[in-house]
Amino acid sequence: MAITARCLVLACGNTLRGDDGVGPKLAAWAEERFRQNPEVRVIARQQWTPDLAEDIAAADSVLFVDASAKSPPGRVHLIPVSSRADASAPVSHHLTPNQLLGLSRSLYGSIKSHAMLLAVNVVSTELGETFSAPVEAALPRARGILEKAVLRFLDR
Amino acid sequence: MSQTITIDPVTRLEGHGKITIQLNGQGEVENAHFHVTQVRGFERFSEGRPFYEMPSLMARICGICPVSHLIASAKACEAIMSVRIPHTAAQLRRLLNLAQMVQSHALSFFYLASPDLLLGMESDPKLRNILGVAATKPELGRAGIALRRIGQSIIELLGDKRVHPGWVVPGGVTEPLSAGKRDKILAMLPEAYSSFGLALGAYKQIAATFQPEIEVFANFPSNYMSLISEEEAIDFTDGALRLIDSTGAIIEDGMTASRYTEVIGEAVEPYSYTKFAYYKPLGYPDGSYRVGPLARLNIVKSMGTPKAEKELAEFKQLAAGPVSSSFHYHHARLVEILYGIEKIEEILADSRILDKHVRATAGVNRLEGAGQAEAPRGVLHHHYKVDENGKITWANLVIATGQNNNAMNRGVLQAARSYIKDGKFSEGILNRVEAVVRTFDPCLSCSTHAFGQMPLEISLLSACGEVVDRVARD
Repeated sequence: MAITARCLVLACGNTLRGDDGVGPKLAAWAEERFRQNPEVRVIARQQWTPDLAEDIAAADSVLFVDASAKSPPGRVHLIPVSSRADASAPVSHHLTPNQLLGLSRSLYGSIKSHAMLLAVNVVSTELGETFSAPVEAALPRARGILEKAVLRFLDR
Repeated sequence: MSQTITIDPVTRLEGHGKITIQLNGQGEVENAHFHVTQVRGFERFSEGRPFYEMPSLMARICGICPVSHLIASAKACEAIMSVRIPHTAAQLRRLLNLAQMVQSHALSFFYLASPDLLLGMESDPKLRNILGVAATKPELGRAGIALRRIGQSIIELLGDKRVHPGWVVPGGVTEPLSAGKRDKILAMLPEAYSSFGLALGAYKQIAATFQPEIEVFANFPSNYMSLISEEEAIDFTDGALRLIDSTGAIIEDGMTASRYTEVIGEAVEPYSYTKFAYYKPLGYPDGSYRVGPLARLNIVKSMGTPKAEKELAEFKQLAAGPVSSSFHYHHARLVEILYGIEKIEEILADSRILDKHVRATAGVNRLEGAGQAEAPRGVLHHHYKVDENGKITWANLVIATGQNNNAMNRGVLQAARSYIKDGKFSEGILNRVEAVVRTFDPCLSCSTHAFGQMPLEISLLSACGEVVDRVARD
C-alpha cells in the first residue's frame, strides 16, 4: 500500500524543459523544508499517472504543484481542485488534478480535507535547464504560498 | 468517388500514431495503413560515445520498458568486452526484467485495453477510459494500480529508480541484492497474486463475448519469433531465438544475437518512420513475423512455473496450432504476468541471489557486439560497432514494434475491410480499428527512438487521395 501522510505535495514537470521544471523545483524545496515532518510527503513526477490515485487516497489533503501556460508570466495561483470529472477525456498516461482526485474517490472512496493546485504561469518550455526571468522572480512568492498552504492543511 | 478515413491520434498506445483507411468508389476498403510519424535519432547521436555509456543512454528511449533496453544494450557491450557475467548478476537482471514486464503488462491491460474490454467497443467514448473503468469496476482499477506499483517498487528497490534505473551495466549490475530488499519484494507478492487473480477472472468471463473481434483482429497465419530457453521454456532475458511458421514448424532455432544480425533485415515503407523487420531467407514481406506475448506463448513448450504452466495449457487450447488472432495478445499478457510473479518468487528463494559477485570487468576485446532480450512487447535487439578506443562508430536497434509492424498494418486492413461497408462507419467501428493496434501494445517511442510527445490520427481518403473524414485527438 501507499505511504500514508496528512499532506501530500504532488508536483509535476520536466526539469529539462525550461520553466516546466518549476513544479519539481518547488517540490525539492518542500522536501527540504518539511524534511523533519513525517506528516508531509512530497512526490515529483514528469506526469501525473493514474497510479498516483493510491498515494492521494493515503493522504488527508493534497497540494498539486504545476506549471501553467496562462498569462501573465510569473503569476502564482492557488486554486481549489474538485473531484468532479474533467470535461476533457483522460489520456492513459497522465491525468489532470481533478481527474486524479475523481479516480482516487472512485477507486478508494477517498475524499480530501483540502485539495488545491498551486500553479506558476510560465514563459517557455523549450529544452533547457534554466528558468525564465519571470518564473525565477516568482519562486520566492511560490515557496511562501506553498509553505502556507501545507501548514494550513496540517492545521485542518 | 473514393474516400480516406483518418484516425489521428490513435489513443491508448505507448506513443502516438495515425491510421488511414482508403475507400474505393463503391465504399469498400481499398487499403489501410498504420503510420508512425516520428523521426528516429538514438542510433545516430550515440555515435562517438564510449560503449560503456550505451545502456544508460539507450534506456532513455522509453519510460515504460527501459529495463529491456538496459539489458539488451549491456549484453551487446559484454559481447564487445568478451565477458561472461556472474550467475547472480544474470539472475538479478532477470528479476528486474520480470518486474518491468509485470508493470508494463498491467499498464497495457488495465489502463489501455480494459476500457474496450470491460465497457465495450461501442460504449460512450467519453467514458471509455480509465476513469470509466474505475467508476464501474473499481476492484479491477485497484488491482491494476497494485500490479503497477508492485512492478515499479521492485524496480526501484533493485535499481534505486522506478524509471531509468542505472543499476544494469556492462559486466553485470552495480550492487548486490541485500536480504532486507529481498524480503521487501517477497512481502509484495501475495498482493500481486490476488490482484492478478481478479484480472484473469474478469478477462475469462468476457473473452467469449468478443468472438466477432477475435475473428478479424489481425487474425491470419504468420511467422512468430521469441527467445526460448534450452528447456524450451519462456525466457525473457537469456536463451536463444526461435522462429516458427504459421503451422508451428521451426524455421530457425538457437539464433544468437550475432546470427540474428545476419538473417533479419529491415524494410522501409514511405508512410512510417518505423521500419519493418523480416526474416531475410523468406524476403519482405513474406518473412515478416510477430513477436511479443502471443509469439512467446505460441513458441514455448513450457512456462517453467506451476500456475503459469496450467494457464499456458489452457491458452494453447485456443487453436490446434499457433494461436493466430492478435486479440489473444491480451490473454497471453495475463499469463505472462502470472509467470512473472511466480518466477520472481522462485529466483528470490535461491540463497545465491544474495551473492556479492555481481560484476565482471574487461576492456574492448572485439570491435562489434550484439545483445538481445525480451521486452514486454517482444524481442529487442541492440547491435554496436566500436573503434579501438571503445567509441561507438555504428549502432542499430531492432525493436518489437518494428517487428510487429507488418502484422499491425495487415490487422488494421483486415478489421477495416470487415467493419466498413458501403463507406459507412461509426465511432465504434473506428474504435475497433484502433483496438487492433492496441492488442499489440506497440511502443512507438521505442520503435522510432524519437524524443518527446507523438500524436496519432485515423483518415478516410477518397480514390483520388482527398481527405474526406478524419478523427483527431490531441
